[in-house]
Parts: sequence; structure tokens; C-alpha cells
Amino acid sequence: MTEAATIEVEVTAIDQVTPLIKHFRLAPVDGGTLPAFSGGSHIIVVMHGAARAHRNPYSVLSPPNRLDAYEIGVRRMEESRGGSHFMHDSVRVGSRLQIAHPVNLFGLDKIARKHVLIAGGIGITPFLAMLEDLYGGPVPYELHYSVRSPEHAAFLVRLRRREGGRVHLYCDSEQQAIDFEALLGNQPLGTHVYVCGPGGMISRVAAVAKDCGWPDSHIHWEQFSAPPVGDAFEVFLARSRISVHVPPDQSLLESIEAAGVEVPYLCRGGVCGFCQTRVLEVDGELLHNDHFLSEAERASGKTIMPCVSRARCRSLLLDL
Amino acid sequence: MSTAFKPDETFRDSFTFRNSEAAIRRFPMPFPEDNYMYSVNIEPHTAGPPGSVTEFPIDIDEHYVAECKERALVLAAEPLRFQALPHMMSAQWDCLELIMESLARDYPQHFALARAGNRWHWINRPLGINRHFTFGEASSLDRQPLDFITRQAQGDWVVMDQREGDLWTEAGMVTTQADWSLDFDVGMTFKEWHGPVPIAHELGVFDRALKFLLNLRLGAPVRRLNWTMTVHPRLDTSPENYPFWGPDRAAVTALNAGDLVNLRVELQGLWRLPRSNAVVFSIRCYLISLRELVTVAKWGRRVHRVLKNLHPELVDYKGLARYRDAVVEWLAPYDDGVPTTPGTAPE
Amino acid sequence: MLVTGIKSKPVYAPLRYDAGGRYHVMLGQEVGEAPLLRVLGDMSGSPEALARTRVLYVPLRAAAAGAAPAAAFGGAGVADVRIFGTTAALLEAFRDLLGRALMGTRLYVAGPESFIGLAMKIALEFNLNKDEIRAEECGTRARRVYCIHCRTTTENVRTNIVTCGGCTRSLLVRDHYSRRLAAYMGVMADAEVPGELPPIREVFA
Repeated sequence: MTEAATIEVEVTAIDQVTPLIKHFRLAPVDGGTLPAFSGGSHIIVVMHGAARAHRNPYSVLSPPNRLDAYEIGVRRMEESRGGSHFMHDSVRVGSRLQIAHPVNLFGLDKIARKHVLIAGGIGITPFLAMLEDLYGGPVPYELHYSVRSPEHAAFLVRLRRREGGRVHLYCDSEQQAIDFEALLGNQPLGTHVYVCGPGGMISRVAAVAKDCGWPDSHIHWEQFSAPPVGDAFEVFLARSRISVHVPPDQSLLESIEAAGVEVPYLCRGGVCGFCQTRVLEVDGELLHNDHFLSEAERASGKTIMPCVSRARCRSLLLDL
Repeated sequence: MSTAFKPDETFRDSFTFRNSEAAIRRFPMPFPEDNYMYSVNIEPHTAGPPGSVTEFPIDIDEHYVAECKERALVLAAEPLRFQALPHMMSAQWDCLELIMESLARDYPQHFALARAGNRWHWINRPLGINRHFTFGEASSLDRQPLDFITRQAQGDWVVMDQREGDLWTEAGMVTTQADWSLDFDVGMTFKEWHGPVPIAHELGVFDRALKFLLNLRLGAPVRRLNWTMTVHPRLDTSPENYPFWGPDRAAVTALNAGDLVNLRVELQGLWRLPRSNAVVFSIRCYLISLRELVTVAKWGRRVHRVLKNLHPELVDYKGLARYRDAVVEWLAPYDDGVPTTPGTAPE
Repeated sequence: MLVTGIKSKPVYAPLRYDAGGRYHVMLGQEVGEAPLLRVLGDMSGSPEALARTRVLYVPLRAAAAGAAPAAAFGGAGVADVRIFGTTAALLEAFRDLLGRALMGTRLYVAGPESFIGLAMKIALEFNLNKDEIRAEECGTRARRVYCIHCRTTTENVRTNIVTCGGCTRSLLVRDHYSRRLAAYMGVMADAEVPGELPPIREVFA
């Protein structure tokens, strides 16, 4: 797949919107407009840190019809490998970053008869742009937003101001929880549900929906896994004929890229399947962390998603 | 290059369509070798050499005005050649933007677009159109956006919605097609739409193409070439009008094939659309008569060989059964058996 | 031009009970009774599922009408059984039912393809997709044929070539199928040489 060129942007505003979330505004350095996009899209932000580059996916939360800048929300991750810490600690107004063209792996179903949006914490970000696409349209929708406590409810004022009663807030601190059974057990035919939030929330929504008889094709979710840390290992790239060291805090994909070999990717979060790579040999165990491969594919030991997965082994031979 | 249009050319009845020498030289030959079989021959839609049909993302050539007139004639008789399901409105605006932006940027002598927020001003000088409208507001144009803009573009346009891991053919303007019907196919999945194509399904061509297109990226369009043959330079070889053009096939002989039969090449471009996340498929048709084609010696040799050895199911699918032998016979004197060089460029 | 072996032709499979669904809507026409009774048999161990099942059935043949089908479905444990006199009445009730149905509904259709097609066309309006619909073809293979030239649909076509009910052209019936139109494509058979037609045979018995 051909890659669109990256775009140079400058950080023009930063807000601390909750104790953990910063809101960034990214404008093109040449002052023009950015590519149009659809609600639910993400961009890959390239950050050039002191030691190495980070490439993290972030949902675009600004209105799709506002193209003078993209806005993203970044939550500070406790176990960050550097990307979210870099955004929080090193990026200032005036900093330059590179971004890739938006990609939408979490789009609204255009023929749905109703949309139910469920957000947990930072998972609110893709919905902010999706709501722009839904607002004023003929299809009914509602948003259920779950947070730890009121101070963690990012963007709530802006949501309530326009969406009013279509926004339902649930705070853990007030012992409020979304009643998924009641919500999903009583929706009209042709409803689609979209969930973005912590892994536990996504699997709970998926399980309840399935229990209520929803087919998978009506259940949409997005969760970008950060590549987990792990033991160091060696990878040998059969076609490039080079050997690459994968340190504990760098992903397989990042290590391969650092060695100068290009691997096609879209999401860098284990979702899209685009970087799927053939495993030729491994003298140990593959540690799959993606949301894409089937159980059978994992068990085969023949394929891996290098953006989030690793290996516990001495060496790994890839078809790259 | 400033294009001199030939506004009075016809693609029906009198068939006065002809290619200039420059148009012959830039003709997109689809055969890089002396034989042909399906493949997923998709490549990045990047800029080709100056003057070539891929110099710009959307090509405008000497036939532009005449082709737009022909489209208007087809639509006057059959309005259902344009179709758009209701959920495709944002994709329609995406297409309008793509076409207007491309034409205004690449052919400033013919087209101009001024944007002030949602207030747009579009000028199409060859067709004499000067229009103010509000982007995103359907009532500000007298036609649906895709209808409006594709009446001012060459080639057919099909817009596919992406959902359930498939691409759904749900809007389009189709008046210059090689025997398929948008009216019948609208609402189909990618593989249903391509259902009538033989062999390729078994080769896995559509599985691979679909997987590829589902991941098509914004800002990174792709293209491929396809081909068939048509008797007379007739753009509208639709199933709808088959009763009118079908008899032409029985009129081809080894004597008249050079003037009657045209190689018909489709330059197919595919773009991811930004606001709708849909994919637009442009199918731009180029015609060249065999007599024009053999003015390039390598092409005469090559097309003769391709047609002579074409797989029988493809001969049938492309509708060549009745006249392929006559075409091969007419081309034979132009094939001296000399080996051809790889690639499509003249020797 | 490909006539047979076109991939848009629907593929049907014997109906099976989908325990993943919460509500079950069953439509049958003519000999479609037997497959539906078979599915209901598979559900006999799940009284809750049977309680959330509705059957809409149109017998068509006079001999099969009357109380017999209702009794058969009732005997299988379904409380909500409606027997219709015409397909149009059944489809109208079906549309009404879908308007009130909830996510979790599974649709089972049994009958001739023309009936399945009309039911699917309505299901599409409600955004039901392939995961929510099951269909088993039984009974006549007669086709609905859409004339690509005059846009008339001719019903009950049993032969490879049929005279269009609209423009009277002789149409070749292709396997190319549109779910939106619930019909196969008919294209003029002797356009290239008038009168040059293949032998007419009954192929959709």
C-alpha cells in the first residue's frame, strides 16, 4: 500500500482538561488547511524524542468541518513507553510534530437506524467528532459516558451544551454504572453500538450485546493498545537479510523501522491487521497482544502483528 | 498544454469521433506483454509524464466537451443512469470536491474554484458554467452534487460505502459503460457487483482487491487499467440500450474491422473520500480505432497477439465472440512476428 | 456475457435454529411449512425461545389452507402464529412487525426464492444483515425477472428465455441477482441477430 505523505504541524494550544488528559491543537505549519476527515478517524502522531521516535495513534476530536487544525486528547498513561509522557512533558505550544493523513477504522454505519455510543474515560475522543456528523441528522443517537469522577469527565460542558439529554454521564465515584443489559436489551432493529474505553468495558459491552442477540456486525469498538514492554529479543529479517535487536521498551515494529526497513501500517494499535507479518521460525513463544488475529491464526505460530506483539525467544525469523 | 476541444464529435449515429495524433500517442495501452489474463494490477495513482493520461489525477482531453454533451443526451432519455441512495449524500459532496479541486488546480485555463468557507464559486469555461453554491447544502444546487459535477467530468463514477467489511455500490453516474447496469447493480456488495466477471473470482482477484481497497488511504489513490472492444466509437454500451447497439456486432467483417472496431480502455482510479469514508471509483473510457492503433507498429503486433490467444471465457465475457476472428484477421498483416519489447511504450 | 455461475446469485442453506438470537421471526410460504417446523423442532427444548417466536405463514394452495397449518405450528409450541390468505398481506404484517422489533431478532424465511427475495427486500429496509437472516429455498424455482431495457419485472418465469411483460422482447434470464430488486436480470436474447434464439427450455422448475 502506498503511503500518503506526512504533514508538518505545530502545536498551537494545550489545555489540561482533566488531571490526566491534555488537549492539543495541531495546525499545519504552512498555515493552510488539513485534509477533511470523517468522525471516528485517528491520526498517527510522530514524536521525535531524544532517544527515539514515537508513533502513537490518537482520535481526532475536533469537528470534521473545521480543518484549520486537528484537536486530539492525550491521557497520561502510567505504564507509558514514552509517547504519552512525551506529549505531556515535552511538547509545548510552538512544538513541531508530524502527522499522517487521518484513517477511519471506527466509522459510523451509514444505514443504521439508531446509534448508541458508549465511552469510558479518554474513549470519549472519537465520539466528539462522530457526534458532529450525527448532530441535526435524521437518525436518532445517544451517548453514554462513564468516568471515574466528575473531574475526570473531559469535554462534558461542551457535550451537554449542545447534545443536552442525549448525553448520559455515569461517575464511579457516585456509584453510577451503565446498565448494559437494560441499554442493549431494548434497542430497535437496525441499531449499532459503538464503544471506546478500557478493555474491560469493551469486552463487557461485547458480551452483553451478544447475550442480547446482537450480531457482531452491529457492535463496533476501538481500543488502541499501547505496545506492552517485555524481554529483549533478536529478530532476523529474511528478505532484508539483517538482524535487529528489540529492546524491552520498544515494539517489534518500532525496532524494525529504526533499522531502516519499512513495514506498512495503519493503526499501530493491533486493530487493523495491516502490518500482519509472516513468521518463518521462532525458537520460543509468540506473545500476541493484538485484537485482530483469530485464535487459530495465533495458534498456528505463523503470523504476528509487529505493532503490538512480541516474542519470548532467543530469535525470531520474519518474512520481511 | 492547452487542450483544443472538439465539441462537435459524436459517439452515436454519425460517429464522428476521431483521435488526433497527439491523442493516439498518449493512448493508455493496457497490454504490457503479448498475452493477457486478469491480475490485481493496481498501482499508486501518482503523476505520470507530462502529456500522459496520468499526468493529473483526473484527465481532461480533446474529447471533453463532446463527451459531456453525450452524457447529457443519455441522461435526458434515461435519468436512472444517475443513482444515489439517501445515505450517500456526504460521499456525493466529497466527490464534488475531489473533481472541482483537481480540475481547477490542474487545468486553470479551463476551470476555477474559489472557496470562502462553505460559499463556493465554480467556473467551467468549456461548458459555460458559472455557479455560486453552498458546499454541503443540497438545495443550493439544482441537481444532486454528484449528478451536478459528473455531468462536467469524463468517465463513469461509482461511489462505494464501506461497512461490514465490504464495499457497497450505492451511488454513481454511469453512461459510458462496458455492458453493466448501475440501475440493476446499485446496493450490491463488491463481489455481487463483479459477479458477472468470469474466472477472476476463482483466481482470488476480488478477494485480494477488496482487502486492498478496504484499506485504501486518504491521500494515496490507486489506479488500474481494464479493457474491452466496442463496435463504433460508442460510449454508451449499456445493457439498457443493448437492443440498439447489439446489431453492430454482427456487422463486423475482416474488411471493415479496422474502421468499425475500437479498443476500449478504462483507466480506473480509486480514491478514499474524506468526510464519508467512502471510496470513489472512476472509470474513464478511452477509445481508439484499430486503424488508429496500428499507426504505432508495436501496438498492432501486440493487440493481434493478445486477441489471437485470448482465453475463450474472456472472449465471451467481453462480448467479442461474434467478431474476434474478423479483428484478428484484419490485424494479421500488421504483425510481422518481430518480438515486442516489454511495457506499453512505442518501440 | 456470463449467464450462469454468477456470484451474485444467492446461496441458500437448510434452516437451523440460531440460539444466539433472542427473538425469532419465521416466515413461510407454500411448502416452507416443513423447514419451519423442523427449526421449531430444534427449539423444543427451549420454551423461552419458543415464547419469543412468531410465525407468519401463507399456504397459497387452497388444500393447505384452513386450520391445519395453524394447528401444526401451535403443536410445535409457538403461541403467536398468523396464517395469511395472500403473500402481500403477509409481507405487510411483516413490515409492521419489524418496525416494532428489537435488536436480537433473527429472521428465518422458507419458501420459493421469489418469496425469500421479497421478504429480504423488506428486511433490508430495517438494516438486517446477513448475520440476522437465514433462508431456505424450497418449492418452485420460478424467478422474478427484471427487464433491463424497460424495467418491468415479470413474475413466475420458468424458462431460459421469457417474453417481457412490458416491452415483449425475448429476454435471456441471467444468474445476476439484485437483492434490492429481488429479481434476476433479463437481457434481450436476440439483439445482435433478430430471431437468433437458443431453444426455449424449462430450466427453473
